[in-house]
Amino acid sequence: MNTIVCVKQVLDPEIPPAKFKIDPEAKQVIPPAGVPPVISVYDERAVEAACRLKDKHKGKITVISMGSAKAADVIKHAISMGADDGFVLQDPAFENLDSFGTAYVLSKAIQKIGGYDLILCGRQAADWGAGQVGSILAEILGLPVVTLACAIEAVDKKLKVKRMVSDGYEVLEAPMPSLVTVSSEIGLPRLPGGMGLMMARKKQIPIWKAKDIGAEPSQLDKAKAHTEVTGLSVPTRKTECEIIAGGTPGEAAANLALKISKLI
Amino acid sequence: MSPVSATYWSIPGYVIFWVLFAVAFGLFLQRFYLLYRLMRLGKQENRFDQIGQRIKNMLVEVVPQWCTLKTVTRKDLAGLAHALLFWSFSLFFISYIIFIGLAGGFGLSSLIERTPFETVYFSILDIAAVLVTLTLILAAVRRYIIRPPRLEPTAEAGIILIMVFSLMALHVLGVGFDHAARGVHASWPPLGAALAGFLSGTGISQGTLEAGYRWVWWLHYLVILSFMVYIPRSKHLHILASLVNAFFKPLGPKVALEPIPLEALEAPEGSATFGASKIQDFTWKDLLDFYACAECGRCHVNCPAQLTGKSLSPREVIHHLKEHLLETGPGLLANKTDASPGSQAEAPGKTMIGDVVTEEEIWACTTCGACQEVCPVNIEHIRKIIDLRRNLVMAQSKMPESAQLMLRNMQQRGHPWAGVQSMRLRGDWTSDLELKILAEGDNADTLFWVGCTGALVERNVKATLSMTRVLKAGGVDFAVLGDAETCCGDPARRAGYEFQFQMMAEQNIELFKSYNIKEIITTCPHCYNTIKHEYPRYGGDFKVVHYTELIADLISQGKLKLTNELNSKLTYHDPCYLGRYNSVYSEPRRILQAIPRAKLEEMERSRDTGFCCGGGGGLMWIEEQPGTTKINQMRIEDVIKTGVDTVVAACPYCLQMFEDAIDHKGIKESLKARDLVELVEAAMKQF
Amino acid sequence: MDTHKGVLVVGEITEGKLAPITIELLGAGRKLANELGEELSILLMGSKAGGLGQEGIAYGADHVYVAEDTLLDQYNSEAYTQVAAELCRKALPSIMLLGYTDVGCDLAPRLNGRLGGGLAMDCLALSVDPATKLLVSTRPVFGGNAQATIVSKVARPQMATVRLKTMPPAERNDSRQGKVIPVEGKIDPSALKVKVVERIKEETEGVKLEDAEVVVSGGRGIGSAQNWGMIKELALALGGAVGATRPACDEGWASVSLQIGQSGKVVSPKLYIAVALSGAMSHISGHLGSKYIVAINKDKDANIFSVAHFGIVGDYKEIVPALTAKLKELKSK
Ligand SMILES: Cc1cc2nc3c(=O)[nH]c(=O)nc-3n(C[C@@H](O)[C@H](O)[C@H](O)COP(=O)(O)OP(=O)(O)OC[C@H]3O[C@@H](n4cnc5c(N)ncnc54)[C@H](O)[C@@H]3O)c2cc1C
Ligand SMILES: Cc1cc2nc3c(=O)[nH]c(=O)nc-3n(C[C@H](O)[C@H](O)[C@H](O)COP(=O)(O)OP(=O)(O)OC[C@H]3O[C@@H](n4cnc5c(N)ncnc54)[C@H](O)[C@@H]3O)c2cc1C
Ligand code: SF4
Ligand code: SF4
Repeated sequence: MNTIVCVKQVLDPEIPPAKFKIDPEAKQVIPPAGVPPVISVYDERAVEAACRLKDKHKGKITVISMGSAKAADVIKHAISMGADDGFVLQDPAFENLDSFGTAYVLSKAIQKIGGYDLILCGRQAADWGAGQVGSILAEILGLPVVTLACAIEAVDKKLKVKRMVSDGYEVLEAPMPSLVTVSSEIGLPRLPGGMGLMMARKKQIPIWKAKDIGAEPSQLDKAKAHTEVTGLSVPTRKTECEIIAGGTPGEAAANLALKISKLI
Repeated sequence: MSPVSATYWSIPGYVIFWVLFAVAFGLFLQRFYLLYRLMRLGKQENRFDQIGQRIKNMLVEVVPQWCTLKTVTRKDLAGLAHALLFWSFSLFFISYIIFIGLAGGFGLSSLIERTPFETVYFSILDIAAVLVTLTLILAAVRRYIIRPPRLEPTAEAGIILIMVFSLMALHVLGVGFDHAARGVHASWPPLGAALAGFLSGTGISQGTLEAGYRWVWWLHYLVILSFMVYIPRSKHLHILASLVNAFFKPLGPKVALEPIPLEALEAPEGSATFGASKIQDFTWKDLLDFYACAECGRCHVNCPAQLTGKSLSPREVIHHLKEHLLETGPGLLANKTDASPGSQAEAPGKTMIGDVVTEEEIWACTTCGACQEVCPVNIEHIRKIIDLRRNLVMAQSKMPESAQLMLRNMQQRGHPWAGVQSMRLRGDWTSDLELKILAEGDNADTLFWVGCTGALVERNVKATLSMTRVLKAGGVDFAVLGDAETCCGDPARRAGYEFQFQMMAEQNIELFKSYNIKEIITTCPHCYNTIKHEYPRYGGDFKVVHYTELIADLISQGKLKLTNELNSKLTYHDPCYLGRYNSVYSEPRRILQAIPRAKLEEMERSRDTGFCCGGGGGLMWIEEQPGTTKINQMRIEDVIKTGVDTVVAACPYCLQMFEDAIDHKGIKESLKARDLVELVEAAMKQF
Repeated sequence: MDTHKGVLVVGEITEGKLAPITIELLGAGRKLANELGEELSILLMGSKAGGLGQEGIAYGADHVYVAEDTLLDQYNSEAYTQVAAELCRKALPSIMLLGYTDVGCDLAPRLNGRLGGGLAMDCLALSVDPATKLLVSTRPVFGGNAQATIVSKVARPQMATVRLKTMPPAERNDSRQGKVIPVEGKIDPSALKVKVVERIKEETEGVKLEDAEVVVSGGRGIGSAQNWGMIKELALALGGAVGATRPACDEGWASVSLQIGQSGKVVSPKLYIAVALSGAMSHISGHLGSKYIVAINKDKDANIFSVAHFGIVGDYKEIVPALTAKLKELKSK
């Protein structure tokens, strides 16, 4: 079975909060020096899900990433895990697109690749976390969609997907092709093996521009963006530990309980 | 007249002699050839460079028995006995060639027998025989009565003891009967002569004595031949193999890992092998190692994993792999002849990883090198264990979760400290310091390579900061990489993630070259070892110094003056990768001795017999087998025994391990763990 | 654009009642509608949705759209999307609010994809820009390190999903007036390509450590296997998972698979409660990604306080049971 996985390269979420700096004017994050970007957490799990299906049913995994030319790194990471092919979608016209624009560009690339049985996305990108590119993409492609998957199996040309819900999970059956967004419960991604690292090292990752995938400039017009980021700020955060007091340990505990119940 | 020149059942003795010899030698050769062919199942590896040096090694190690003498400690004198046995037995061996081979088989008895040469030689042999017998008794007592943990009381050992004893006895008997039969009354060789005297006194007829001599002679000959047949079929194969192994021993760094050759990268998909999953994935030298093992158990009793109750025993690993080779090898050879050469036929039966060596064993090794250090026959345990890890990690994707976490972090973030980056970034330690941080286009001769731990882990950052101040005080002109530094690759390599290591090594070398760096100062012995010994394979030849070497130098040149009194009793722990791996033993001690009023107490296990802290080989991040003693907790007991107030480490892992063990024992008040450089700073004149 | 008016809440029904999130959405929606001077409506789906019509009105809706169909009794992505999209095309709301729940997380982006609106997920605050009358949604980005405000200038509806318990629930007022409007149109079963095979409820006790939103960890200070029970109970009360430091695993109080840290697991829950553990680097590196860290330790200088957001200095044996009891009490309310 053939799978296409959409992966995004993001600022490493693992940086000290104190090092998190933004440029409020440009509404941009300023990455700290010496911290290379990484593959978005859920997207890596989507690659893992694809690899598990490939382990069982063979087939081909193609990975696409829209971003800078550096996104080739996350494609290579996916290839080292077991993907076969990958493309970077990079064009000035693709910069700072909203979720619709992103989904549109991805849909164009997916149509160009074609021949898929399954499209996988992460449930949410680890940076902007809009949490909607997958679903919009499905609508554009006219595909059934299952979100928040924690397990995917292929049985009799159908997909059996376990979906996380708050009090358990549901098991869904979807036709092929479908689009599935993957949640972290699917499990730890594999460590790339020797073969994978070799493949990734050798592989050339082609870059597709807007014209390569036939993306219409009108669809990428930022003036027509569905959503716009109008402000970006870093919430002031206390750095000191707040010691919860109380007349007795029991009272302190009760006060803490009140705090906690507000946090979750 | 030699018994060979007689005729038996109308068959000339010579015929019997040579037929027996031919049969025995044939059996010897048959076994030998099989072992040779099995060995050739292994992968290629070049160990034929510097032949002169190799021959020298062989002669220097084996003939004077340096190999076993070096293992002699006050507690374990067995090495002495072994050397005695070896020398004595060599004399016997030569005597067999001269007195049985040349004199008997070749009929040169008239030239050799009854000469003063014989008398002298036999007299020496008598002494040797006594010594050997005493050693044998000692050995038997040790194996079957005292039973030290390193020796298994095997039947094989018993057979050999008996055989050797019979050789001694038969030799003396032979001389006795011979002298008695001929009526020789001499006082030399002492044992033979005494026995002859006794035999003559019994009044046995001369004919009987002569017949007795002949039978003793032939029996003696038979025992010698069976010895020859038995040796390559027993663990005493080591007698031969260890000699060869000394020839092929590594000439470079003591513990060397083979890179996975780049051809593996070019191999058609699916056929590449990573590490060892089958016996034939080892190199022929590894297989030769198996033959060389004498099962002496020295490695077993010095292995920190074994001593703390883990399932790993280096002796068992080697022994089991040898058995596995002997079991599966013949089948492989058979397959090899009908299948195309180099076919990857799977050996039937046991799987090597799992049935022969378990995953727990493979992951318990700290690569401390204690086993290799004490092994009298130059066996390289560590690279086999790493080869097994390579297969687990790169081909089977099987490893402890903690190992995977570490390796994933190495891959994505370029350091092994998963999670730590949420706290601090690599370059953070440089803030507010006046340092030369290299940026594109810069040049620097000397680089201070901080290492992941020194840059990322709070406790070790303190030592890093001390280091920069000491370097400055010593007038060293150095630069640092700041946030551009990545990992040297050591944890990846020891955990079997070879390609990741290779990539990091190549990247770092390129980086060093881009700044024209000539000399690299490290604080971490693991970085030190890796950059110094492993980077050259990838084209990185730099002068690498550990800070203990540098500071010792600065002190002796008078550039650093340690004037502050420390008033402390301390002990120094030899980090495995500095001590055993690189023989830097004296520099750290010289530094400590230069500190006023710092009294150095040595631990019993120190220098080359030093005991691991538990943090090497990736084990800093991999959980030790549950239910076993932690290695650092065993080591801290050594420290406590010395009664010091400070344990000094020269390695970031050791430092952490000691702090943890001290914490665990709850003795923070009475014992501190310090990095050596912190003490140097404290003793330095402040300005 | 002007054709779009009013605020539409997509309601959720749990156990025959309006879900708490829906009541919060009605509260937020009412405010927005008032500021705009427009109407608030709610869509309820399910075969018995009609019975909740009055309740919707009581909580502030002017119109209650009810779509009654057994196919809607349980959440079905395609069916819900069809009905909601259909309604939107007719009712043309300007703003549409959903809960950031497993229903909303699935439905909102899909609906948005179909309608071509502008959506902000997981919002912490909603307001109307007085000048432009546009909806301004504030949502966390970069794992909560920053907050962004999102505006849809042209796309309609302006959609937002709202995080549970961030907005005050609407007040019930049974005297309010409103209209219950049945939604016409049947669901086309052939369009339901994804079949629900089964739904499994899982007890929260089995929460996997790596995925848990709340982790309660104990350390060596717990002192005994028996007292370890307090850690488990606290975790259970919070629907969270139990973690441990290495010494606690070594003692056998917790299984090694629960070890957090350098040689254990790395977790990043919303809330991490560290009980009687000192906060050694090799432990905290395993949970520094947590959103909130709470420390309970009798030693005020313990390192764990240097990374914690909240803490109590004292004996956990007195604090933890009281904490558990209070949390249970709060939960039952
Ligand atoms: C300077 C700047 C300005 C911005 N301005 C706007 C703005 O005006 N309006 C706005 O809505 N957003 C804006 N954004 C954020 C925007 O770029 C988001 O990335 C976009 O909305 C998609 O959302 P998401 O990346 O959070 O994806 P999600 O919807 O959270 O992603 C879900 C999944 O979709 C897939 N996916 C997402 N992106 C990619 C990708 N690039 N390549 C491959 N797969 C992908 C992945 O599988 C991912 O897990 C801006 C960002 C920047 C840096
Ligand atoms: C290589 C290596 C890897 C390691 N990996 C890990 C790892 O993965 N995970 C891990 O957790 N550790 C790990 N450690 C161990 C780590 O360094 C610490 O030793 C350990 O985390 C300390 O555990 P603790 O906090 O439970 O115990 P302690 O440090 O002993 O702390 C106990 C705390 O409990 C408090 N306390 C005692 N009684 C009470 C009471 N009645 N009420 C309230 N508070 C009380 C005390 O004040 C103290 O702060 C590793 C160590 C090494 C060297
Ligand atoms: S290297 Fe050390 S831990 Fe590993 S087997 Fe040898 S002695 Fe044991
Ligand atoms: S490997 Fe070396 S030290 Fe270990 S048992 Fe064999 S010969 Fe002895």
